[in-house]
This record gives sequence, structure tokens and C-alpha cells, in this order.
Amino acid sequence: MDVNPAPEAAPTALRFALLVTGPSYGTQAASDAYRFAQAVLAQAHVLSHVFFYQEGVHNANHLVAPASDETNLQQAWVALAQTQGLRLDVCVAAALRRGVCDAASAEQAGLSQWNLAEPFYLSGLGQLAEAALTADRVVQF
Amino acid sequence: MNNVAFLFRTAPHGSASGREGLDAVLATSALNEDIGVFFSDDGVYQLLAEQDPRAILGRHYAPTFGLLDLYDVEQVYVCQRSMTERGIRLEHITIPAQVLAPHDWQLALAGFNVRLSF
Repeated sequence: MDVNPAPEAAPTALRFALLVTGPSYGTQAASDAYRFAQAVLAQAHVLSHVFFYQEGVHNANHLVAPASDETNLQQAWVALAQTQGLRLDVCVAAALRRGVCDAASAEQAGLSQWNLAEPFYLSGLGQLAEAALTADRVVQF
Repeated sequence: MNNVAFLFRTAPHGSASGREGLDAVLATSALNEDIGVFFSDDGVYQLLAEQDPRAILGRHYAPTFGLLDLYDVEQVYVCQRSMTERGIRLEHITIPAQVLAPHDWQLALAGFNVRLSF
């Protein structure tokens, strides 16, 4: 990646992969990840992957209900993803262990409730592996 | 393809970070075996033999580190300084690994352009 463009060449957009490992509330990690995602897009770079792992899976829980004058980070991710056409990958094993599941996995587990929906998707760790191996920059929060 | 280093810096029990990091390593090794696995700080405890976390309702996942060898992940490094600080010697470590002094540790880590911490 250490390519020096010719002086007159336009700056090349980079493909950024984000790994989010902090919850939607309780630590700052996910808020920083969200703000960084906005900054990446504002500078005309590409978000190739956004992967939620460990406590990060809580960002996908649409049952969070913060106070009305506070940021609802789950909704902020959804709005960002819909505006930008992003796919938000959530590790299925990490999510199910923490009570985050979609309609299909809830039915499979015999659960009557579910709390994850598009643009969040339950995915395997293969998505994280692909992100880590192929993005120009990988940033962990 | 990037070279990906996985850093284990937390103890095996008390948080799920190590276990979930190991899952991430194994998933990545299925796509590319040219990855590095680094153990430092409390992460060196991950590799100790004779763990028995049943009393704390934990899972004994340490044997799963043995899969690194099976999956041809050969770049496994342990921080000598972290081991010394904790009184851990090479014979306590359950998998094939290179023990690196600080300078060599930094050189090894510098060979990877992506780093993920667990």
C-alpha cells in the first residue's frame, strides 16, 4: 500500500474495515467507531466492512431505549447504513451468547422474541477474516 | 492480501476476549495461514497447562490453541518480558511458540500490516 502517487495524481480512496468490539452504551468504543465511520465517508473513502464482535454485538439490539435527549447509537448505525448502502455484519455466535438474535435464529432456538433486523445481519467470522485480509486499513474499536 | 497479527493481551478467564480472539484466529487461518499470533501481558496466561475453569463456570478452551499447529499457523510468539514478569517459563507453555525479547518482538510485529487485539 505504500505507493507514492505522482504529484498531480488525485488522492486514491482507501477501503476501510471497522471492527467494533464495544457496546452501544457503557463505553466510548462504539461511539468512536460510528464517528470514525462518518469521517471516513466524509473524506470520500470507502467502508468495505463494518463488523460487530464481542460486546459490539449489542449495537445491533433494537430494543435499546436511551433517554430521549441522548444518542440512540443503534438507530444511528441503521441510518448510516441505509444512507450509505452499508451492510452491518454481526458475529452470530457472539450475538446469540449475548441475547442478540434475529427472527430466524430466535425461531430456531425456540425463543419468542428477537431484536436484530436489517441492515444488521448475523454473519460468521469468515466476514471478519475477509475484512482483515483485504481492506486497505483495518481499525479496531 | 494483508498480513494479519492477532494479539492476545488478556487473561484466559475473567473476560471472553481470549476465547473470542482464538475463534477469530481460527476463522482467518482457514483463508490464509500466513498470520501471526502474539501473546503478551496477561495474554501469556492463555497458554498455561493445567487450567480448570469449571469452578468459575468457564470453558476450558486452552487446548483449542493446539489447532494453530494443525492449521499450519507457525508464526506464534510469546513476549519474554511478560513471561518473566509473571514467573512463567517455556516449559509451562502448551503449544509450539517462539519466545521473543522486546526488540525481536517489535521486529516480528512490524512484519504485519493489520493488528487485532484481544
